[in-house]
Amino acid sequence: MLARRTLARVGSQPSVLGAAPTNARNMATLRELELRLKSVRNIEKITKSMKMIASTKLNKAQRAMVQGKQYGAANAELFQNAPPETSTKRRLFIVVSSDKGLCGGVHSSVSKATRREFAEHNLDPESPIMVIGDKSKAQLSRALPNNLALTFNQIGRDVPTFADAAGVADLVIKSGVQYDSITIVYNKFVSAISYEAATVEVLTENSLKESPGFKAYEMEDDFTKDVAEFALANAIYAALVEGHACEISARRNAMDNASKNASDMINSLQLQYNRGRQASITNELVDIITGPFSVSMPYALADQIL
Amino acid sequence: MSSTWRAHFTFNRYSQICARALRQSLKESERVKAEKRGLTALRYQHWEHGEGGEQVYLVPPEDAPKAPAA
Repeated sequence: MLARRTLARVGSQPSVLGAAPTNARNMATLRELELRLKSVRNIEKITKSMKMIASTKLNKAQRAMVQGKQYGAANAELFQNAPPETSTKRRLFIVVSSDKGLCGGVHSSVSKATRREFAEHNLDPESPIMVIGDKSKAQLSRALPNNLALTFNQIGRDVPTFADAAGVADLVIKSGVQYDSITIVYNKFVSAISYEAATVEVLTENSLKESPGFKAYEMEDDFTKDVAEFALANAIYAALVEGHACEISARRNAMDNASKNASDMINSLQLQYNRGRQASITNELVDIITGPFSVSMPYALADQIL
Repeated sequence: MSSTWRAHFTFNRYSQICARALRQSLKESERVKAEKRGLTALRYQHWEHGEGGEQVYLVPPEDAPKAPAA
């Protein structure tokens, strides 16, 4: 976009500012081009280094994700064997994202998925939402402001720990918000270059007790409460680590694209700069050569100069 | 032996306390590695009618810088 604007300016040069000498105008354009070239080079260095950092972090994040998903898988087995009796109307949404940007579309992916869930299924419109991460919090506070109940931040700087997930789970339970079941919206890691928004259902203690399949487990009430709380923390932990891995891979891809775009811009700007420089040199030469013809001079002297 | 902790906090808090005790009892080199798994800098805020409340640290950091409002 910037290159196109510069081309237009260079092309329209003759029609603008007839008063100033041609050389001065060329130099001004050249200086602008130089400054732009310098700034784009700096940007390319920054995006390249961000890409390197994200690549090294990705290995650690992927290892943590593989281990963390097993926590979520253990939950899935329990909830498969004890499905809820009735479909739930008032669901608590926990949206998992993070605080930092420059990572492609990870935050808007979960925000859009949450809004889609609200629009498609006929849920209670007062269904509460809790958001982890400032970026999705900003997006959802514009879209569904009255549903927000609790938000969290400072997660996702490093690989999320189970302590983070347990803290979130405890705050969710302690907040006293009413819901029939919990839906966790997060980004599922499909591959190193792609991710997609996904949801995971977690049942509450009451839903578990009412479910017929749960009788097979023959659990006491105390332990049912423990299982519900621990299952929530497990599910949040699995979603957090997977979301973290998606964010890092998306950041690496975004910075990779940015570096490529920056180096393309550098090439085109460099060509324009060279063309501009050569044009100004040519103009100076023309001025020097045709100068003497504008002043009356003996022909012999003119012959000597040329 | 009846467990009286259920009246005061959740199972997650119980397991975090036990985990902290276990980590502090490890050998020095293992303890340093395990301590990293117990770190959390979580901050939260309650929302009412589309307005955010004050941000509160779950575990206040020792040097206690003032938490900025939303």
